[in-house]
Amino acid sequence: MTPRLVLDGVSVARSDTVVVEPLSLSMDAGEVVALLGANGAGKSSLIEAVAGHLPIVAGTLRLDGRDVTAGSLQARARAGIAWCPEGRRLFPGLTVEETLDVAATGNRRVRAEAIERMFALFPALAAHRKTPAWQLSGGQQQMLAIARAVIAAPRVVLLDEPSLGLAPAVLDSVFDAVRRLAEDGAAVLLAEQNVARALAVAGRTLVLARGRVILEGPSERIAVDPTLPGALLGV
Amino acid sequence: MIEAIPQLLVNALALGSTYALAALGFVLVINAVGAVNFAHGELVMLGGFVAVGLAATLPETAVLPGLIVLPGVMLALAAVGLVLALIGYAPLRRAPPVSVFISTIAIGLIIQHAVTAGIGPEPRVGPPLIGTGSVELFGAVIARQQLATIAVAGLLLVAVHALLKHTRFGRRLRAAAQDPVMARAIGIPVVLTTAASFAMAGALAGAAGLMLSNQYFVAPTDGAVLMLKAYVATVIGGWGRVWGAALGAFAIAAFETVVAASVSYLVAEVLLYVGVLALLMLRPRGLFGEAEGRRA
Amino acid sequence: MRAIDRRGWVYALMALLGFAALAAAGDGYALRIATLVGIYAIAAIGFQLVFGHLGLLALSQGAFFGIGAYALALATVELGVTPLPGLLIAVLVPALLGALVALPVARLESHYVALATLGLAQLALLLATNLEVLGGANGVYGVPPLTVLGVNLAEGWPMLVAVWLGVALALALGGWATAGRRGARLTTLRDAPLAAPALGLDPMGYRVGMFALAAGTAGLGGGLQALDLGVVSPAVLRFDVMVTLLAIAVVGGRGSGLGAVAAAALLVPLPELFRGFESGYLIVYGGAMLAAIVLLPRGLDGALARMVPRPAPIPPRQGTVPPRLGVALRVEGLSRRFGGVVALDGVSFTVPSGRIVGLIGANGSGKTTALNRISGLDRVGGGEMWLGKTRIDTLSPARRARLGLARGFQHPEIPADLSVFEVVVAAAPSGEAAMAALDRTGLIDRAREPAASLGPAARRGLDLARALATGPSVLLLDEPAAGLTAEERDRLSSLLRRLAREGRALLVVEHSMDFLLPLADRIICLDAGRVIAEGTADTVAADPAVRTAYLGREVVS
Repeated sequence: MTPRLVLDGVSVARSDTVVVEPLSLSMDAGEVVALLGANGAGKSSLIEAVAGHLPIVAGTLRLDGRDVTAGSLQARARAGIAWCPEGRRLFPGLTVEETLDVAATGNRRVRAEAIERMFALFPALAAHRKTPAWQLSGGQQQMLAIARAVIAAPRVVLLDEPSLGLAPAVLDSVFDAVRRLAEDGAAVLLAEQNVARALAVAGRTLVLARGRVILEGPSERIAVDPTLPGALLGV
Repeated sequence: MIEAIPQLLVNALALGSTYALAALGFVLVINAVGAVNFAHGELVMLGGFVAVGLAATLPETAVLPGLIVLPGVMLALAAVGLVLALIGYAPLRRAPPVSVFISTIAIGLIIQHAVTAGIGPEPRVGPPLIGTGSVELFGAVIARQQLATIAVAGLLLVAVHALLKHTRFGRRLRAAAQDPVMARAIGIPVVLTTAASFAMAGALAGAAGLMLSNQYFVAPTDGAVLMLKAYVATVIGGWGRVWGAALGAFAIAAFETVVAASVSYLVAEVLLYVGVLALLMLRPRGLFGEAEGRRA
Repeated sequence: MRAIDRRGWVYALMALLGFAALAAAGDGYALRIATLVGIYAIAAIGFQLVFGHLGLLALSQGAFFGIGAYALALATVELGVTPLPGLLIAVLVPALLGALVALPVARLESHYVALATLGLAQLALLLATNLEVLGGANGVYGVPPLTVLGVNLAEGWPMLVAVWLGVALALALGGWATAGRRGARLTTLRDAPLAAPALGLDPMGYRVGMFALAAGTAGLGGGLQALDLGVVSPAVLRFDVMVTLLAIAVVGGRGSGLGAVAAAALLVPLPELFRGFESGYLIVYGGAMLAAIVLLPRGLDGALARMVPRPAPIPPRQGTVPPRLGVALRVEGLSRRFGGVVALDGVSFTVPSGRIVGLIGANGSGKTTALNRISGLDRVGGGEMWLGKTRIDTLSPARRARLGLARGFQHPEIPADLSVFEVVVAAAPSGEAAMAALDRTGLIDRAREPAASLGPAARRGLDLARALATGPSVLLLDEPAAGLTAEERDRLSSLLRRLAREGRALLVVEHSMDFLLPLADRIICLDAGRVIAEGTADTVAADPAVRTAYLGREVVS
């Protein structure tokens, strides 16, 4: 079977500085892979490069076997790579329903069904259909950001620090949603600083430091690796 | 003076609704590209002249001449808006916003003087929307053109509101204006929404120009002042707030109408600019601040 | 410290050719046009100071031109002042108005600057057209010709020479205002608006001065035009004059005085080619402006600079930066909220002189907010801050910088048009001090290179050099080691140690523990805006609260 997403020697630059050294990763449909690492290790840069927001300066990116390295942000979105950025970046003046509507595809009926699916995934949003995004609480905003990314049933979901600034109770529903996205067949790449949560939800984990992979393997093994705390603190 | 109040009210509403159409187009472009369109006043002026030209092709007996040519004027100016985007904005997408200020100043200059060279500097009168004549309302004699202006401009404002709020296209346009990067990230064709913003701005300017040209005549030099009024309306209403700009336009029209009626038009103009300068001095970010949550 | 700019020769050659052609043609008509070119060039040179060097689209320059013309006409016709002192009035009235206008206008954002200045111009036009005192719509007639010591300079060569002496004066003034350290500072204020205050640069003084100078030169041009024509009408206040000046500035190249002269020589004669074609020349101006902004964004001068690059100034010999040593930074009860989010919650600490204190914490823990509050970029929120015995929390960032508080940035703003030396000298008390700072950061051999040619690591070094050049006693650094190679980190470490040993206090925000732990004398760890641990590197690194903060709340390892 062709893997869903393949990074083959992908290297990433941010304003001319290489921030991710050549990195290879293959993900199957239904798989969750966690990216861990100290701040500035390159997690966000890798996510943004796969999304098409940062340039891939070397290597190739394949989606279902098709080379999409050259595609723009918009082309990758159309091809089925969904990006939920750090800091959420919602459209502040659009309501919950409007936000989901602009991100959904298909005719009016199909879109309405997709919106209801999102409300089923995040029941907390259903009560705020007509609320503008900027008036939502932090947790609701994060749920809306994820829902906006995944409403068009993407093949790959990129989540950048979805737990940032959220209360533990809200985290449950966010990581629950991550698990269900994978069960529905998406490949989920998750950059997280909440190590415990990330290890619990991901089958495999990559630990980055200064743009390089320094630990890689099944999450159960990474969780007990004695070098993990040092790697995360950047010591 | 008392019997003049309904008259004044209608005057202010008619003027305000045309200013509002102009300001709406102005702010749509600001939101779409983050820069001021200095040629916007020239688009309004051009709308007036296109209306004059199209009306001249109608038989003299035509009823509703203005209404008949309105779609043509809006369409023509939408096309001008697209050309403006293509020449004045597209090559400067990655340049600093001040470049777009300058390119639109240049385009406005070209439009103004091309009209002068082609048609002459004399003011012209545009076609009335539904013919001339007046009706009596609350004891005041009110021109039918003014009532028609209020009705048509009001309908257009409602139509724009419905488009932006209730159609998927309008929502996508707003999403792209609020965060172009994330709009691309969910597959919105931002090039199209930007072009649509310019086309809508042109169409609304055309409609405003048609209505102003009948009430106040239209001359090639009118653009600068019209642009300034739209600019002021945007500052009063809060930079980047679509309906704030429309409200600002009504406020300017009411102010102008009242001061012009009780003192003189000149004093109204002078006080308007003095007021704006005072406003900017006291509140450097505009009366209501800027639209929240916009990202660079 | 100025190097010879060979572009000067190109312009001189062009001027020579122009005058030769004029002498050959020699007819009065050609002389009138050349006089007009000079008049517009003067006002455009002034416009470059505000538009090019401050980077503000101030659309009032045309109005100041008209105000100068009116000032001269009214002074000579109504008050009987002779033309030469009349010209002085034509300069001073707009200059004074310019300075007054700058005070409110210069703190506006760019889209409001354009509106405010356009509003002013519109007011001037309305007043001139409608006030009888100012001659109303007819304007002022009978302005006497320019006479100097009884010699009539009314027209022909004498007037031409008088006007072009004015051009030379405007160029000299503009050059003086934008040369050397002041020029570097202006460029820093324009291209590094966030870094400039942290380097002790306060924009207001520069803005008022430049507005006054620009308005004064516009007035000189207007006054000369009034003398040349003998009459002033409200037309001189119309937007056409402003648009002509803008077209000259854009075609000539933003900020370039000589480029403006060249562009004036190209554009001003155009109306004469389009005579009988009512104001049709403005179509050509529009076209030229549009073509220039799209195809030649740096104008004629920029195109010339690509062929004959501007040489970087020759740096002086190296001197020393006298640091103000022995001053500690003390912070007490620092707090800051963003809406409902508490970013800093009663943070207190001291950075003694001679010590390096590391500030760590997970994303969003409040580290950068703390730096912004201490350096004064963010002046909202509670708490006290002391620099030695001076309380600084009410002071502007520029004042704090001048008291000895310097800051390096995670993503430094470096003006792309300056040389490495110029970037640093903008912040330094002298060229020698700038060289000393460059020497410390290992960039002294690259002093004459364009700052834009530096790689990311060297840019960080340049930012540090710039901060050091202010002679700080306290240095705040935001992730100085990010993106550096192991070797570069080692060099940075030893530099920071030396800076501390000499008696400075260093506060370093850093994520990379392998860099920070061996370097810092003390470590402070923030979490959710509070200090959760403080002590030596070893104790903080072993602290369970720190580990939890970094690894997620539920982790136990």
